[in-house]
Amino acid sequence: MTTSTVDAVTTPVLDVRGLSVRFRMRGGRFIRAVTDAHFTLAAGERLALVGESGCGKSVLASALLGLLPENAETAGSAVLGGGPGAGGGSGPGGGSGPGGGTDLLAADERTLARSIRGRKVGLVPQSPAAHLTPVRTVRSQLEETVRELLRTPRAALRKTAEEVAERASFPADHLDRYPHELSGGLAQRAATALALIGDAPLLLADEPTTGLDRDLVERTVDELARHTGDSRALLMITHDLAAAERIADRIAVMYAGRIVEIADAGDFFGARGPRHPYARGLLDALPERHFTPTPGMPPELGALPEGCAFAERCARVSEKCRVQPLFEDAVACHHVSLDAPEALEAEHA
Amino acid sequence: MLELDAITAGYEPRKPVIAGISLSVRPGESVGLLGPSGCGKSTLARVAALLHRPDAGRVVIDGTEATGWRHRAPRSQRTAFGVVFQQPRLSADPRLTLSALIAEPLRATGRAAEAADGAREFAARVGLGEDLLGRRPHEVSDGQLQRACVARALILRPRWLVCDEMTAMLDASTTAALVRVVEDYRADSGAGLLAVGHDRVLLERWCDRTVHWSEPAA
Amino acid sequence: MAETAEKTQTAGNTEMAEPAGVAWRVRGMRRRSTRTWRIRTSAVITLAVVLAVLLVPPLVHLDEQAVDLAAKLQPPSLAHPFGTDDVGRDLLLRCVYGLRVSLLVGVVAAVVATVIGTAVGAAAAAAGGRVDRLVMRLVDLFSSVPHLLLGIFIVAMFRPGVWPVVVSVALTHWLSTARIVRAEVLSLRSRPYVDAAISGGASRMRVAVRHLLPGVLPQAGLAAVLMVPHAVWHESALSFLGLGLPTHQASLGTLVQSARGALLAGDWWPTLFPGLFIIVPTLAIAGLAGAWRERLNPRRRSELML
Repeated sequence: MTTSTVDAVTTPVLDVRGLSVRFRMRGGRFIRAVTDAHFTLAAGERLALVGESGCGKSVLASALLGLLPENAETAGSAVLGGGPGAGGGSGPGGGSGPGGGTDLLAADERTLARSIRGRKVGLVPQSPAAHLTPVRTVRSQLEETVRELLRTPRAALRKTAEEVAERASFPADHLDRYPHELSGGLAQRAATALALIGDAPLLLADEPTTGLDRDLVERTVDELARHTGDSRALLMITHDLAAAERIADRIAVMYAGRIVEIADAGDFFGARGPRHPYARGLLDALPERHFTPTPGMPPELGALPEGCAFAERCARVSEKCRVQPLFEDAVACHHVSLDAPEALEAEHA
Repeated sequence: MLELDAITAGYEPRKPVIAGISLSVRPGESVGLLGPSGCGKSTLARVAALLHRPDAGRVVIDGTEATGWRHRAPRSQRTAFGVVFQQPRLSADPRLTLSALIAEPLRATGRAAEAADGAREFAARVGLGEDLLGRRPHEVSDGQLQRACVARALILRPRWLVCDEMTAMLDASTTAALVRVVEDYRADSGAGLLAVGHDRVLLERWCDRTVHWSEPAA
Repeated sequence: MAETAEKTQTAGNTEMAEPAGVAWRVRGMRRRSTRTWRIRTSAVITLAVVLAVLLVPPLVHLDEQAVDLAAKLQPPSLAHPFGTDDVGRDLLLRCVYGLRVSLLVGVVAAVVATVIGTAVGAAAAAAGGRVDRLVMRLVDLFSSVPHLLLGIFIVAMFRPGVWPVVVSVALTHWLSTARIVRAEVLSLRSRPYVDAAISGGASRMRVAVRHLLPGVLPQAGLAAVLMVPHAVWHESALSFLGLGLPTHQASLGTLVQSARGALLAGDWWPTLFPGLFIIVPTLAIAGLAGAWRERLNPRRRSELML
């Protein structure tokens, strides 16, 4: 017992190191959607990956699920459920690293389909209405997934499916409805119920709140937080900062394919504020804050500059920014690591 | 003054989406109309912009009552409105380049000679660089495309702006940037604004006055 | 595992210098290559067919009608690769001539049917209301009668020949195009970009010509190409039933029809080769049309994701 508790603390559920994705385009060009992403996720932890549309965050999610299109190439590793030291030593040729973890980037389609998706990683999709099969009732979809993932005997299927729906607060009297007969909130719960069936240690929510009204957003993320509990880890990908603030313990900010800052959510949204200038700009743009946009637009992922990708929009740009800043002390900026937090705050105000 | 008086409208006979809604916007005023999704507020926005004929009720624009909608409305009345929709992908003709898209209203109203300069000027206003103007919608991001759609809505210098969930698909920074573009335009043209949306915080920050969906009916 | 987790060296990256030691894995190459293979095969076959049909008759001075009763019903040989028919005519030559006639009928009928279908569909969508409902009910009514029956009825009113067959095939095939075009126009017309155009002062004409027509034409063109194989099969069916072209004139249908007697006697080649000539080129055309359909929506999944 004691050893397993220690394990749970020291072993991350997901350990992403140097994850990069690029798309091969016509004429030998490459689009660098994700570059050198590092982060870990422990059980009971909720990480929100935030960034503007087109920053590469959805590509990162697809890479973790092995759902990239055919012209994608990946590098690095994303070890799921590895023992201590896993990940660093796992070669890209094999699906499993030392300590029993699986490298999601190297695993083949059979492994992903049979033992990862649904069983180790539960996906809460962006548009639940599109994620559900339109011609079948919620009950039949739940039962099918229960049968596939849990190998439940036929006689117990109905009961198990009802329990699963109950867990996601999906009302039992709506089980025999078709997806188009459900409201946005109920469709989201049905999709969440499906994601929870396999009791996967990692929940991956890809823009789960897009297009929902504010109270529905809050309900959805509260439910996600409840499902994460102490035993699972949640990776939520979103451009909705309010949703991220409500749910996450930690925030990872992505810009032009790179994670530029990872911070404790309390610090990020609280008095200290973000440390990377881009992240500060994101918060300042919120209508409940300064409502001022960061000038300019993100660079194209097919033509990234040599140095810091944010330099041309940054008020603090200097000579140093011609060189790509290293991701050190949880932030990738030439200026922040030198500054004391007090100085930053003074400038911010 | 833009007056909507007891508007009833829908898409099927005898199944109105909105019934007996009244709302008015004074010149230069910005009004935010707040409501949950699916309540019919977009339909009201389309009625106001003369894009959907109501089953009953009157629309009065600067003292003149509208008698026709869509193509049946006189051109000068239609072009008094600049309209921006929620989904930039659906509101842009996929075959046009961004510069053709922005200048399309100039060409459609027989001012093709001004098209090139106009497109450049308004692209600059919304923060689109020259390098993007030759691209087609599928080659740019949602945020960039919505910037082009805002430029298109402003290029005929309308007296009224109707923004239907303009920023629902966008991130915070692009939202703030586009709201600023619209407000800058209103500041120097004196145009009135009807902004429809479900984000209370945003509309309260953006508009002079917000109206909740349950209120205009009363 | 080897097929997906293949390790490759970075090569040909013109954009940026790679950090040393980054190993890229390439995923899912297989699906793409079968697709390319399918398109190439279709293209090669279609090209060969078009060249054969266009070039053989003017360049090769052989008479496909030449009768040689001494060499009747010869199995395939070097002199006659496809064998000969019951009056000793060379089957390869007759297949090429037959394909020429069948394709001509198919292409002309498909074009005529597409023009009629596009016009009716667009007009119904533009008119809307009662006119639209009336026209579409008529289309439904016509569609409820089996094609072939209606086609037979039409050819039966004329003397056998190429043009009655064209008319018969065209008049029975515009219905689906009319439906496709009407649906497409209606769907395009309700797009916000048409609203935006109206608000920008565009006239009806301008909306139709600049925003609707360019959206519909590729669909109509695709429908026309997809209809060519269908029309060829139809021509073959009519001729096989003895209602299409006169039996002395080689078309794929008449060739199969006149081979029936030989087939009963165990001579397979007069049926097999014209049969293959019906199936293979039409499948190739359909394959190319499929590739074209994919191109109509040129965005790759990676672009959608970004």
